[in-house]
Amino acid sequence: MSQRVLLHVGTPKTGTSYLQDVLFRNRARLLKQGVNYPAERFDEHFLAALDLMRLRWGGLEQEAVGAWDQLAANVRAHPGTSIISHEILATASRTQVARALASLGHKDDGTGTEVHLIVSARDLVRQIPAEWQENVKHRAAFGFSRFLRLIHDPERSHRVGAWFWGVQEVPDILARWGASIPPERIHIVTVPRPGGARDVLWQRFSTAFGLDGLDLELGTERANPSLGVPESALIRRINRVAAVDLPPVHYRPLVRELLAHRTLSKRTDSPRLGLPPDQYPWIAELTEDWIAELTSKGYDVVGDLADLRGDEPVAEKWSNPDRPNERQVSAAALDAVKALLVEAAERQVENDRLRARLEEARRELIRARTPRLMRSMEWTVQKLEGSEQGRKALGAYRMARGRNSRSA
Amino acid sequence: MSGQRRAWGWATALRGGDTTPWQDWLDRADGDGSPFASTVPGAQQLGLLRRLNVAAAAEGRKVPEAIADRVLSASVSGRGRGDLPLIGEDTPDRFGLRPVDPDALPEDELIRVAAGLIADDVAATAAFPEPERSLVERAREVRRPWVKSFVIVGAQWRADAVRAGLVAQGHRPGGRRPTAYLLADDLGTVLAQAWTARAFDQGGPQWPDFLNGFASAGHLPPRADLPRMARSASHKYGADRVAVVLDSAALAAELGVRHLVQPPRLGAHAVDLVRRVGEPLGLLVAPDRRPHLLRTTLGERLDGLGGPDLTVPRRWETWLGTQAERTRHEIAAAGYPVLGDLDRLLPGPLAQSPVLPVDGEVLALALGLLLDPVVPPLKEAS
Repeated sequence: MSQRVLLHVGTPKTGTSYLQDVLFRNRARLLKQGVNYPAERFDEHFLAALDLMRLRWGGLEQEAVGAWDQLAANVRAHPGTSIISHEILATASRTQVARALASLGHKDDGTGTEVHLIVSARDLVRQIPAEWQENVKHRAAFGFSRFLRLIHDPERSHRVGAWFWGVQEVPDILARWGASIPPERIHIVTVPRPGGARDVLWQRFSTAFGLDGLDLELGTERANPSLGVPESALIRRINRVAAVDLPPVHYRPLVRELLAHRTLSKRTDSPRLGLPPDQYPWIAELTEDWIAELTSKGYDVVGDLADLRGDEPVAEKWSNPDRPNERQVSAAALDAVKALLVEAAERQVENDRLRARLEEARRELIRARTPRLMRSMEWTVQKLEGSEQGRKALGAYRMARGRNSRSA
Repeated sequence: MSGQRRAWGWATALRGGDTTPWQDWLDRADGDGSPFASTVPGAQQLGLLRRLNVAAAAEGRKVPEAIADRVLSASVSGRGRGDLPLIGEDTPDRFGLRPVDPDALPEDELIRVAAGLIADDVAATAAFPEPERSLVERAREVRRPWVKSFVIVGAQWRADAVRAGLVAQGHRPGGRRPTAYLLADDLGTVLAQAWTARAFDQGGPQWPDFLNGFASAGHLPPRADLPRMARSASHKYGADRVAVVLDSAALAAELGVRHLVQPPRLGAHAVDLVRRVGEPLGLLVAPDRRPHLLRTTLGERLDGLGGPDLTVPRRWETWLGTQAERTRHEIAAAGYPVLGDLDRLLPGPLAQSPVLPVDGEVLALALGLLLDPVVPPLKEAS
């Protein structure tokens, strides 16, 4: 049975991709040092989370059948410390949480596996636009203002609002996941305020996960890059006209990866997405409620809960993604067209190369299936056709035979 | 009065078959109970169990305790709100989902729980091997040498059923240089078949969203694009070997069978239930097994149920008419032989009130499947 499980259940957009990449790339090193990060593929914990919560995810869920039970079995089989990390676990219901914890060996009376719950949290001023952008990168066609209306609905009756608060409302996430875990085993890692040193967040993760002093290779680049205002608007427009024609299996590599991540995220000079200034007061008030609640619960905080107070947006600097600057959108669209053309050309080259190889293989297959006598005859004909005398001899033969053997 | 104890009392009573609504239960003097699980079940689960008790009572039955416990411990499947707290429980949490009255919940919330449970039942049937076909059945399926060479193409939902029916009569598709018979119908029906096939195959959007998506994009879904299917068949089998079928009896006569077997007739609500069950089922079985499992369980159980057939709402009448005209024009221009009247491709006037899936009806079907779950064929036989 596993002695200790570090269960990182959220939240999205808090540097989780980087953390998971470090853990995945160093899983062999970690194991040698007694820490188990059970994953054969980078998204293994994501698939396990989909399985646990029975969530569809653009067809990926088809690869998730039985993934949670496999992950839990792997954790139980490791006698030391294991780490599980995926941010969408934040939205699990109490029933799903109970199933997950039980499968990891946790017991409500404290006699089972020592489960530590870790939640990384960032201020809502940055999280709200980031979540809308994430929706846009997952085919959403609704605007930012509609998104804001949906998350403002106190009933959370729309799936967008339900999802947003499900993965972002830190006090509720901890109440759902931590109902049977002592507060000293619940750790909140706060994302530093904007402008802080880049490695502070990693240091906080390292402390929370007990990785300090372990020999790890850092410096990976995997991240979930963000888009500016015109780039987000462009992807939303693409979703409106093309998403229905692009099944997820094509949308993911072409729109999300090629256009959003590899092309448009490099345009860093455009206006950045931000919270509308008129939304700040209620967000600030809510944040104070969160801080009071989290403080009262006595959770272990790695960082400072004051980090959750986001900077007040400056009205003059705010750019509305629902009414973007059309020149900037056009410029972004040109970059997108260029990227698609280059991609199409590269694919054409690859297609041609594969077609040539296929043709070569076909010829070899025919050659292998052609009897030796036939091959000798073909060789003789080719040789004879190479000289004047040979062609005459062939002509005489064909005349004597009464028909053109080449068409035989 | 403790709200928590009151909630446990109600949950205990529901386990015993009670049908009292939550608001009435709150007024009862003897309404408290003791916990029988680690957390109070969500409002969706409690609301569903009460509706199940009502449905069972209407048939003079009682929900077995094992089924009641399954419902109470179930997860809410798919995206949306998680387990909702009950209104009237102690001081509600300051954070998280707002408490609700389970009897005032939209039926969609109850269907989310029911769909997960039905998916479990359907997935359980996958563990059992298919019953072996008898020698007579196998002999019947052997292709007769004198049978005309043919293949059946068209909207998958109908084509699969017709093909299977022909195989059962010894008319196995195939043979040398076959004729491809493209099963066609009026475009509204073909669209409904396409959505039905998708419901069994991969789930997907609701019927109006399905129509809206393709109407906005200005083209037909691939599963309903008859000219495209005809072109594809002509590439594969030769342009002179494709025939469009708009008269089933004519095809039956041409193939020498009495009639063509039609797919199960699932009403609008039944198809929508299949679509919703397919979603959580996708997390329980491999994708290639899902359509077959759904067809052999829900497809058979819901045959003839679920209200009238789907229809296209009048909102999309212009788009439907344009696409039907295009379909007719392209098929006529390609010169394929037609069994029947090509004008049958054109939809008639659309009804003032369209037939759409209704959550209440979908839930009623789901309750039936919870009371009498689908069982593996072998179990049924024993």
